[in-house]
Amino acid sequence: MRAFWAIIRKELLEFLRSYGLLIVVLYSFTLDVYIAGNGINLDARNVSVGIVDYSPGFISNKMLSDLHYPQFQEPVFFASQERLNLAIRNKEIMVGIVFESDFEKRFHTGNNPVLNLLLDSTASAQSYLALNYIQHILMRFQDTLSLAPIEIQIHKLFNPNTSYSYFMALAELLSIITLLAVILTAAVFVKEKENGTWDIMLLMPTDAKAVILAKSLSQVIIVMIGTIVCVGTVLFGIFDLPINGSLAAFMLLTFFYAFTSAGIGLFIASVARNIMQIAQLSVIIMMPLIFLSGAWTPVYAMHPILEYLSIISPLRYYIQGSESIFFRGTALIDLWEYFAGVIVLGGVMFWYGFRKIGKLF
Amino acid sequence: MRIGVIKAYFKKELLDIYRSKLILMVYIMPSMLLILFGYGIKTEVTHTRTLIIDNDQSKVSYDLVSTFEHSKYFNSDVKNLSENRALNLIKQDKKDLIIIIPEAFEKHLLKGLKTSVGVYIDGSFPSRAKTIENYVNGVIYDAIMKRSGSEVDRALITINARNLFNQSLRDEDMIVPGVIGLVLLIAPAVLSALLIVKEKENGTIFNFYSSSVKKIEFLAAKILPVLLLHGINIFILFLWAIYLFGVPFRGSFLLYTFSSFIYIIISLSVGLLVSIITSSQIVAYVLTLIVTIIPGFLYSGMLMPISSMEGESVIEAHIYPVMYYTHILYDVFLVGDGLSASKNLLYLLILVGYAIILLGIGSLLLKKRIA
Amino acid sequence: MNRLQVRKVSVTYRKKTGLKPVNLEATGGEIIGLIGADGAGKSSLMHAIAGAKSFDGEIEFDNHIYRSPKEAEKIKGSIGFMPQGLGLILYEHLGVNEHLDFFADIRGIKQDSAFRAYRERLLHMAGLSDFTERQAGRLSGGMMQKLALICTLLHRPKLLLLDEPTTGVDPLSRMELWDILDDIIAKEKTLCIVSTAYMAEATQMDRVLLFEDGEIIDKGKAGELVEKVRPFSYEAAPEPFENSITIHGYTYSLKPLELKSKEPTLDAVFFINFLKKYGPIPEISIVHKDRDEDVPATIMEAKGLTKRFGKFVANDYIDMELNRGEILGLLGANGAGKTTFIKMLLGLLPIDEGELFLLGKRIESPDDRQMLKAKIGYVSQHFALYKGMSVRENLRYFANMHHIESRRALDLIKEHANTLGFYTYLDALPTDLPLGINQRFSVAAAIMHEPVVLFLDEPTSGVDVVARAIFWEMLQRLKKEWNIAILVTTHYMGEAEFCDRVVLLRDGKKIADDTVKNLYQIHPDAHNFEDIFLDYYNLN
Repeated sequence: MRAFWAIIRKELLEFLRSYGLLIVVLYSFTLDVYIAGNGINLDARNVSVGIVDYSPGFISNKMLSDLHYPQFQEPVFFASQERLNLAIRNKEIMVGIVFESDFEKRFHTGNNPVLNLLLDSTASAQSYLALNYIQHILMRFQDTLSLAPIEIQIHKLFNPNTSYSYFMALAELLSIITLLAVILTAAVFVKEKENGTWDIMLLMPTDAKAVILAKSLSQVIIVMIGTIVCVGTVLFGIFDLPINGSLAAFMLLTFFYAFTSAGIGLFIASVARNIMQIAQLSVIIMMPLIFLSGAWTPVYAMHPILEYLSIISPLRYYIQGSESIFFRGTALIDLWEYFAGVIVLGGVMFWYGFRKIGKLF
Repeated sequence: MRIGVIKAYFKKELLDIYRSKLILMVYIMPSMLLILFGYGIKTEVTHTRTLIIDNDQSKVSYDLVSTFEHSKYFNSDVKNLSENRALNLIKQDKKDLIIIIPEAFEKHLLKGLKTSVGVYIDGSFPSRAKTIENYVNGVIYDAIMKRSGSEVDRALITINARNLFNQSLRDEDMIVPGVIGLVLLIAPAVLSALLIVKEKENGTIFNFYSSSVKKIEFLAAKILPVLLLHGINIFILFLWAIYLFGVPFRGSFLLYTFSSFIYIIISLSVGLLVSIITSSQIVAYVLTLIVTIIPGFLYSGMLMPISSMEGESVIEAHIYPVMYYTHILYDVFLVGDGLSASKNLLYLLILVGYAIILLGIGSLLLKKRIA
Repeated sequence: MNRLQVRKVSVTYRKKTGLKPVNLEATGGEIIGLIGADGAGKSSLMHAIAGAKSFDGEIEFDNHIYRSPKEAEKIKGSIGFMPQGLGLILYEHLGVNEHLDFFADIRGIKQDSAFRAYRERLLHMAGLSDFTERQAGRLSGGMMQKLALICTLLHRPKLLLLDEPTTGVDPLSRMELWDILDDIIAKEKTLCIVSTAYMAEATQMDRVLLFEDGEIIDKGKAGELVEKVRPFSYEAAPEPFENSITIHGYTYSLKPLELKSKEPTLDAVFFINFLKKYGPIPEISIVHKDRDEDVPATIMEAKGLTKRFGKFVANDYIDMELNRGEILGLLGANGAGKTTFIKMLLGLLPIDEGELFLLGKRIESPDDRQMLKAKIGYVSQHFALYKGMSVRENLRYFANMHHIESRRALDLIKEHANTLGFYTYLDALPTDLPLGINQRFSVAAAIMHEPVVLFLDEPTSGVDVVARAIFWEMLQRLKKEWNIAILVTTHYMGEAEFCDRVVLLRDGKKIADDTVKNLYQIHPDAHNFEDIFLDYYNLN
C-alpha cells in the first residue's frame, strides 16, 4: 500500500511540474469547454434576408415586420431578382423572399397567392430552419385573420429556451474527459519508456498490478479534478447550466468512465513506443468510438449495423447517462442501464488493457 | 536556391516519413475524418421515437396519426397513457416526442372552433429538438390544410421555396465540403510542425545550423514533402466526396485543385509558425490541434453560416483563412460559378495573399541558430 | 592559411552564462583539445565558432570575420561540426549510404570520381563498407559515431569541430575514429578542435585548453600542463594528509609533503585544480548497515546464457559468476552484448537459453524474481531519474517503492546525502544538476534498500575526471563496508583496473574472464588496460 500511494503521489507531482502539459489540461477543462459552449450555435439565428418586393403593400409590410432579431437580420431590399440571386451566390444573403407583382391582388381575391422563397441550402440545416420560421410567421399572420383554427402547444422539456451553450459545453466536457483520460494514461507509461526509467520501474519490488493500478488511478484523479473544476467554473459558473438530476451520480459515472478510458490508454501504451505514436493511435481508436457513441447522430437513427456496433461503445452509455442526469433529471433507479453499460464495458476494456500492459512487466 | 540541397532534404524527408510509419497518419487521418464526419454529422433527424396519445379517436385524428406513422422522420407508437406516465418516458430517454390530441378535436375543427394539440419534446439535444419541432409543425399544418375546405384553402398563402444549390437538402452536400476545408487545415499543419520540431528534438537540426544550407532552402525542403503528400489527399478527398457521399461537383476542377494547393501552403505555414515556438513534439502536436480544430470548425461555415455571425466572431471569421477556402469549396461543389463570380476571385486572391504573408512571417521568424 | 582567431567571445543562455570572454588562436593542421567538467563552456565555444549560436565578440577564420551566426554563413561551407551526443546528427531511419548521399547533397558536393574515391576511403576507414544499407537506428554506438564523423568530413572542411566524439564509444571504435581523424588532418591540413573526456586522448593533441565555469583556466601542450602540477604529485600516502587528495595511487597536495614524487598524468591537473578551488575532496563514506543477512558467497551464476534477436545472437552461451565483496567489470565494444547480458540478469529481457542462479536460487519464472528484487540495486545508463521531482522527492519515491517506513526513509535520505556529498542539492531538480551529482544520487537511490548486489551500466559515461574518481571511491567503500557484489560496465579502460575481476565480451561471446593482475601477466607488453583490451580485439 505504501508503494501504491507513493506512485500516485509521484505521478501527480510530475504532472504538476510539467507545466506545458498542466497548461494544456487546464485549458482543455476551462477555456476549450467555454469556447465550444459559447461559439457553436446550430440554430438559425441572425439569418440574412434579402427582399425583392414587386408589389409593395399591406401584406408584404406586415410580413416583413415579423422578420426580426434574433432569428433574422434587418432585411435588405434588392431592386431585381438577379441582384438578389447574386447576393445569395456570394453568401451575403441566405434567404431571399420575392413578392411577385400580383401577390397582393391574389391575396385579396383569394386566388392562390404564392410567396417565392430562395434559400441558400449549402447550409441545409439553417435554411430548413429559416424556412420553418417563415412558415410559422405566415401561419400566425393568417391565424390573426382567423383562417387556421389550430394551435400547436409546444413544450420543450428540460431546456425550454433551446440553449446551445448547455448542450455544447456538456458535450465538449465529455469529449475532453474521454480524450484526456486516454492520452494521459498512455503517456505516463510511455514517458517512462522514453526517459529510460521503464527498466527501473520494472525492477521495483512492487507488484506489477499495483503499479499499473496506481498509475491509472493517478490519471483518473487528474481527470476527476479537471471535471470538478470544469463543472464548477464553466458549466455552473459561466453557463449557469441547470442540473435536474444528481451531481453525485454524474461524478460516480464519470469515475467509472474515466477508468474505462484509462483502459484504452493502457492498451495504447502497451503498443506505442513514443508520444508521437500515442497521438496517432489515440486519434485512430477514439474517433470511431466517438462516432458510435451517438454524440453526433442519435443511435436509433443510425444504420442498423452501426446501431448494433454502438452497443459496445462505452461512450454511448456515458453520454446518454450524463445527458439524462443533467437535462432529463432521470431518477437514480432509471440510470442503472447507463451504469451497467459503463461498468461492464469499462471493466472489459480496463481488464484487457491491464493484461496487455501487464505482459510488459 | 540550390536544387541539390532541396532534393536531398526532400528525399530524406519522404524516406523518413515512410519508414517511421508517419505515412499512415498522412493518409489515414484525413480520409477517416472525412468519412466519420460525413456520416456522423446529421442535421436531419429521422426515426424520432414518438408517442401519440389520441384522446379523440375520430376520423380526423386517425388521419393525423397515420400521417405521423407514414413519415420516415417519426417512429410512432399510439398508446393511451396518462400524461404523467408519458412524460416519464421522456425522462427515461425512451421517447423523444409526445403528441397529445385532445378530446373533441374533430368536433372543434369542423365547427371552426379553436383547438390545440399538445406537443412535448425532449430538449436535451437542442438542435434535434428544434428540428423535431419544425417537423411536427409542418406535419400538423399540412394535415389540416389538406383537410380544410376549398373556400379557405384558396385564400391561403402557399410557399414556393427553392432550395438553391442543394435541392434535396442533403446533409452530405453541406457537411462534406466543409470537412475537406477542416481536414486540409489540420493535417498539413500537424505534419509540417512535426517535421521541424522532430529535428529540433533529435538534434539533427544541427545539420542545418552548421552547414551553408540557406534558410529558404531548408524551408522549401520542409514544405515540398508536405505539399506533395497532402496534395495527393486533395484528390483522395475529392474522390470520397463524389463517389462515396455523392456530393455533386458543379464547378471547375482546376479551381478546386489550385485553391486547395494554396490552402495547404497556408495550413503548413501555420504548422511552421507553431514549430518555431515549440521544441518538443508532443507540445507541437497538441498546440497545432488547438489552433486549427476549433477555429476550423467554427469558421468553416459548415455548422453556422458566416452571414449569421455576430459581433467579434465576424471579425475573427474574416481573420482566419478557413472561411475563404470553404467559400470556394462550396462554390466548386454546389454552386459552380467559378471565377466568374467576383467574390470567388477575390477570395482566391486573399488566399494567395495569406499564403505569401504566413510563409514570409514563418521564414522571417525561423532562426538558423540555437535559441 | 586556415587561421582561426577567437577574440573575446562569450556566450550567454537565457538564464546563465555559458562562456565568459575567451581568446584563442590556431592554424590548420593543429589538433586542439578542450577538456573540463560538463557545463564548463566547451560546447558553448564550439557552438559559437560553428555559427550555431549567437555570441559576443569576434571570430575570424580563413580571413573572414564574423560576429553572429548570420555573418558566419559564408564560412560554414568550410566548417564541419559534430555536436555532442551519440549519433546526434544522424537520422534514425536513413541508411549509411543514404546518409552520405544526403550530406554530400546538402553540402553541394560535386559527385565526381575523386569524390567517390574519397567517399569509399572514408567508408572503408570507418569499417562501414559492409553495412552501407543498414539504417542508423540499428547501428551500434561506435558505428554511429564513425558514420557521423565521416558525414562531417565529407565536404573536406578546413575547420573541424568535434564535441566529445568519443564519449560512450568503446576503445576500438575510439582508435578507429582517431585513425580517420589523424589521416584526414595530415592530408588536408585541417584545423581540428575536439573536446574529450579521455585524458589519454588529450595527451596526444597539439594543445589543450582547460575549461572551468565558462573560463579557460589553463592552456598549452598536455606536457606543459602536466609539468605545472608535477610539484604537487606524490606517491600515494598510506595515511591521508590534511588538505590533500589521495586517489588512484597518487597523493596531490599544494603544500610540500614528505613523500616521494610521482610522475603525474593529465588527470592530476583536474585534481590540483579541484584542490585549489574547493580544497580536498569531501570524505565519501557509506551509511552503516546493521543487519548482515545470510547470503551465499556466489551471488549470481550464469550458465550458457543466450539471447537471440532474430538471426542475430546478442549473447552466445555466456558463463559468468559474481561473488560477494567483488567488483566485476564487464567490458566490450559497443554492441558486444553487455547491456543485453545485464538486462537478462535483471529479467528485463527473457532468457532464450541457459540457466541463471541468483542468490543460489534458480530463476525460472517471473515469480522467482519478485522476491529477489528487494536484494538488487540497478543504475542504468542515463541515470534514469524522474525529472519532475527534486532529488529528495525522487529518493522518497524509491524508498516507498521498497516499502521503507517513512521516518526511516527520511533519515536514510539525510544520511546518504551527507555521506555521498549531495546534501546541498537535495531540493534541486535533477535536470539542473551536473552529471556527477546525478550519478551519485542515482546510486543512493539504488542502494537505499540495502541490496546485496548492484548492477551499474556505464555509470561514468560523460562524467568528468574528479567526479569519476569520487564515484569509484564510493564503489570501493560500498564493496568493503557492505560486502556486496558489484557488476559494472564502462568504456574507460582505466577504470577496469579498479575492478577485482574483468569479463570481456566480443560479438556476444565471452573471450576473457580473469583478475586484472593475471591479465597483465598474460599480456606483459601492455602499458595499460586499453592495450589488453585491444589485444583481445585485434586477436584473430
